[in-house]
Amino acid sequence: MDYGIYQDKLTRIVTDIARSHSLWILAYGTGCGAIEVPATMTSRYDAERLGVRGAATPRQADVLMITGYLTVKTLKRVIRVYEQMQDPKYVIGFGSCAVNGGMYWDSYNTIKQLDLYLPVDVYISGCMPRPEAVLEGFAKLQEQIRAGEARGATKYKDNLDYYRGNQKKIIKNWDFPDYNW
Amino acid sequence: MKRERATTLYFGPQHPGITGNMMIRLKVEGDTIVKATTEVGYLHRAFEKLVEKRNWVQSFTLMCRFCVPEPDPVENTYARAVEMIAGIEIPERAKWIRVLILELARMSSLLLWHAGQGHSLGLYTMGQWSVGDRNYILDLFEELTGARIYHMYVWPGGVRKDFPEGFEDRVLKVMDYFENKLPDYDNLLFENSIFQKRTQGVGIVNPEQIIEHGVVGQPLRAAGIKSDIRIDDSYEVYDKLKFDIPTQTGSDIWARALVRRAELRESISIIRQVIGKIPKGDFNVKLPNPQKWTIPAGDAFARAESVRGEVGMYLVSDGGNKPRRAHFRGAAYVHAVSLLEDVLVGANIADVSAIMNSLGTCPPEIER
Amino acid sequence: METFLEKIKDRISVNFELDRSSIDVERKRVDVQIKKEQIPSILRYLKENMNFRHLMHASVVDWLEEGKFEVLFMLWTPKEKIRVFVRTKLDRDNPVMENLDMIWPQLNTYEREFKEMYGIEFTGLVAPEEFILEDWEGPPPMRRDFDTEAYAKDVFSERIGREDAQDVRETIAKRSGEVIPDFAKKHSR
Repeated sequence: MDYGIYQDKLTRIVTDIARSHSLWILAYGTGCGAIEVPATMTSRYDAERLGVRGAATPRQADVLMITGYLTVKTLKRVIRVYEQMQDPKYVIGFGSCAVNGGMYWDSYNTIKQLDLYLPVDVYISGCMPRPEAVLEGFAKLQEQIRAGEARGATKYKDNLDYYRGNQKKIIKNWDFPDYNW
Repeated sequence: MKRERATTLYFGPQHPGITGNMMIRLKVEGDTIVKATTEVGYLHRAFEKLVEKRNWVQSFTLMCRFCVPEPDPVENTYARAVEMIAGIEIPERAKWIRVLILELARMSSLLLWHAGQGHSLGLYTMGQWSVGDRNYILDLFEELTGARIYHMYVWPGGVRKDFPEGFEDRVLKVMDYFENKLPDYDNLLFENSIFQKRTQGVGIVNPEQIIEHGVVGQPLRAAGIKSDIRIDDSYEVYDKLKFDIPTQTGSDIWARALVRRAELRESISIIRQVIGKIPKGDFNVKLPNPQKWTIPAGDAFARAESVRGEVGMYLVSDGGNKPRRAHFRGAAYVHAVSLLEDVLVGANIADVSAIMNSLGTCPPEIER
Repeated sequence: METFLEKIKDRISVNFELDRSSIDVERKRVDVQIKKEQIPSILRYLKENMNFRHLMHASVVDWLEEGKFEVLFMLWTPKEKIRVFVRTKLDRDNPVMENLDMIWPQLNTYEREFKEMYGIEFTGLVAPEEFILEDWEGPPPMRRDFDTEAYAKDVFSERIGREDAQDVRETIAKRSGEVIPDFAKKHSR
């Protein structure tokens, strides 16, 4: 009997559990939501007990937190950062302005729908979301990872043309390198 | 053949040491910076454009979002500017409540600075303590206003809500807690010899330059000039309170740190005085229907002291139900671009973050 | 106080030809309006001869109906605690002004912003082309004839579900089967 198929499945389950307990978030405060991240990470809320902690560089990070609105200028950098991150990687949209533009719905410089440009795994609503909400967002992401559903990075690779099309629509001066995965 | 020895380094926008979302292009020779160019604009949300499309009360909800670490002085300047143009006289109690909330915001922002300054020099424990303790102040905010960060509390005509029952006692309890806690902060940060050695004589700003650039706040006070908008151009009821303006003469990171250390204690004393003296009475005046509320034509400039220096709001009304123009003066606006570029020259790469923290660079209020 | 403010106003008007001037006793403010050619000399005079060392703020207001930009500089003196507002009007079709950043270095930042947001040209300004916006192709966005809502609708797509402006309280109540009491109804929306 061939046990290979079971072995693969078992490996995946174990790695998913391991991954879910080691979420290193990239230290990139893209918007005002970055003010509640220190509170989440420090003594009272202590996100580190869930395995969530900060990482300084994109290549070592697992989670990209879009903390609030994204201006067009930042979006360009965020895409660059996201593409530098290594698999497995996840995106959390933080705050109501990441969900649907929030109170900046008629602003000429902020994007209104984050998931057109990046594959978002979890949205956390609120302005500002409380640290409890942020922790719940992380718990949700962990659940998704364990269930094998947080496949945003794969989605991005498979539908690169769709995302690229949306990105190029608003970023005028496109000077990115061409990646091949 | 002469070889080009300078390397260009991009400090930000994604960088753990930068204070917010901005970028500094550094030209370095070895470890020494020879040229710095600030690039901002990553957080431009076009508030001032949006304000022109919202009525007077809707605009007020945007105001606190101008500056993230300390939103209340911005709300306060907007409210006072509207009151000046519209000629609204606010009740005495509202003024005292405003002072209380401004000082609480000041404390919370100073605690965040403790964390940032420690973090920028590799002292991560400071952040665990001061940001953790800051939650006690945010709890007070939450009880009073319903929100931790964006309070939307100080509005034209007074404040939005009165104190809940027993609130004063809880404020005093938190102040007691901080008074017990501050010696620990001293032990951890200010008596730490590494912190002293890395800050003394680093990031010196020439006092002449500070005055020329119109920088107010700790950088000015750390250069030995006693100046504080709360006293010099007094607003609300600051003239009825007794407090000291701490000054230092070093004009380096260490001097600015000592000024902030003393200011945290002054804020506690101000809050205690406010709780002791606050009068009874109304907390706001009734405003007309916000959709139909028009304000006579005119303009006003209101200024307030925030932790990073002077903030101000220039507000113009053309007689309609929407502001014609609301232009915010961020405290960091005057130094984050022109002054910072000068100060960074000659510093080490490792000190950039500490210098930025110490000057109080805050990108959201630069580009708004 | 009133006589003091009058004195300052008179001292300015002796030296400069003012279009308009007024004083506001309550806010301790002197307001002067002047031709744009005289702006550098009046600012320098106020700073050096009358001790208005501190530039609190500078701003631009777009008076679309008049076809003018109003540029103003707000000065303050810590000693006498008096504000002076210096205003000038620029032609909206051809807004050109002299560079002023040798008087106050932070005006460099202000001028870069006004140039980008209003399209006001400052002759002699040395600064990078872009300040806040990047690759911006539209008209200067803070001008009043630029419609931000139309631009946002045109460029960014909005998430479905925002356009019907439903009452949040009622929607949640409907979903959860909660009955809203009458007194609460009139406060919602």
